[in-house]
Amino acid sequence: MKRSIIQNFRGLHGLVVHPDDANRHALVSTLGKLGLTVTAKCAADPSELRNCDLMFIDADEGMEAMPEAQGHMTALESVPCIALIGNEAPSRLARVVRRGCASHILKPIRNSGVYAAVLLAVNGHELRQENAREIEVLRKRLSGRRVVTQAVVAIMKLHGLDQDAAYELLRADAMNRRLPIDQIARERMFAGSP
Amino acid sequence: MRAGAELAISEINEDPCSLAKLVPVVIDPGGITASYVTAAQKLLCEKKITHIFGCYTSSSRKEVLPFFEKHDGLLWYPSHYEGFETSENIVYTGAAPNQHILPLSKHLLEHHGNRGWFVGSNYVWAWENNRILRERLMEVGGVVVGERYFPVGETDMMALAQQIVSDRPDFVFTTLIGKSGYAFFRALREAANAAGIDQPNDMPVASCSLSEAELPAIGSAASGHLSSSVYFSTINSPENNQFVSEWNRRFGDLGHACADAEATYNAVHLLSQAVTKAGSEGFTAVRDAVKSAQFNAPQGLVTVNPDNLHCAMRSRIGRSKSDGTFEILHSEAQPVQPDPYLVWSNSAKQPELRGNHLRVVR
Repeated sequence: MKRSIIQNFRGLHGLVVHPDDANRHALVSTLGKLGLTVTAKCAADPSELRNCDLMFIDADEGMEAMPEAQGHMTALESVPCIALIGNEAPSRLARVVRRGCASHILKPIRNSGVYAAVLLAVNGHELRQENAREIEVLRKRLSGRRVVTQAVVAIMKLHGLDQDAAYELLRADAMNRRLPIDQIARERMFAGSP
Repeated sequence: MRAGAELAISEINEDPCSLAKLVPVVIDPGGITASYVTAAQKLLCEKKITHIFGCYTSSSRKEVLPFFEKHDGLLWYPSHYEGFETSENIVYTGAAPNQHILPLSKHLLEHHGNRGWFVGSNYVWAWENNRILRERLMEVGGVVVGERYFPVGETDMMALAQQIVSDRPDFVFTTLIGKSGYAFFRALREAANAAGIDQPNDMPVASCSLSEAELPAIGSAASGHLSSSVYFSTINSPENNQFVSEWNRRFGDLGHACADAEATYNAVHLLSQAVTKAGSEGFTAVRDAVKSAQFNAPQGLVTVNPDNLHCAMRSRIGRSKSDGTFEILHSEAQPVQPDPYLVWSNSAKQPELRGNHLRVVR
């Protein structure tokens, strides 16, 4: 099923980190029209990063001074980040890439472009989070493979079964108890009697 | 639009109380998108004009907007449109989507059912209105029976009409524009008659753009269609009666007064008011003065929303009659605040960006 995109941002809290100028004014006013509540700062501290749903950061000045909290957060904890870009020099843009900004708005900021940037960032971020969750699950499963193999070999030896029958035994147990197969394998190995 | 503007200009110039005197300069880009840029540049740069009225289509508006921003011009845009835009350089006096498509979808669901057939001209006005209506139907378990788009100007509609008649939806929603629309209204009526279906009652065609100006072009199939608009010429009020009689006296040969003419008329009056209030015709002064401005328009009280420069207006549903006017079936009791991004009118669940790691497995 094709999931519908998020297109209404009413009630989300946006943090804007940018000097107080016409760009920031235009951005804050447009975000208000989109139904967001906004905190605008010239610099932000880590606690504020954790209390917003969406952040807009100046890519020209002060991005390096931003608290690195975002860098230490896992992808799952982070919030979508939108870069406000005036200067397109590669050294500036490298910071935008490293910070994983999900979309950007070019300066001078005008009303047009803000809605598109918010929509792309929020939906792109959703997708990233979904991928990160999937990777987490796969990684866990992968680390469980070794113990499953050990358990299969042990069952083969103990019961004189072939590889398929030994695996089937494990799988049936996992199905009956509704537990992941690697957990069943681990239990058997630690219990000492596979 | 031009006739509506001219009507307002003469009223203002003849009014001894009005400080503003208006001198119109007219350019007709002829509906060709690229010509709007040339026209806007000429008016803004060469003629040094600050206030420009016009642009019917969204594509022409989007084309000229950068020039208005560059030259501090104010575009007075008197057409209903699909929304999802705000600008400090545009005053929108036509209806926003929450003032046309949302009231229409409510009316269709209450009076006709939840099985719709969508047909439109292949551009943003159709796509966006269809998206909004589709989402409304989905929310209540409705069905989009069919959906088809045609190039602008296409007039071969008979096969489509027959398909729709055999599908028998509860209603048809059209965003076809110009002669495609006229051809469709005729073809559907013909196909429905041949199948013995009372099309206006059993399978009405609804739109957010059908106006008095278009009914004569549809011919004998012009009656019985639903339209969502903030203005119909049949509104009964002293302001409208005067507007209509002035219109008939000067522009009766163009047909009945319609929403686009009225919206342009209102825009010119709002400009005059703002110039008088600001004591200046400059861009910033007028733009700031028009915020919260009010005008007793033919359609009723119109108020400019100070945040998004769209207008609070009363939505109405009309049904076309054979005499080329609309019977008004429903009027909102109060002006509806404009909501161009559908932020406040959307009943859909709001996003939760944090902590929604659980999903329903299907």
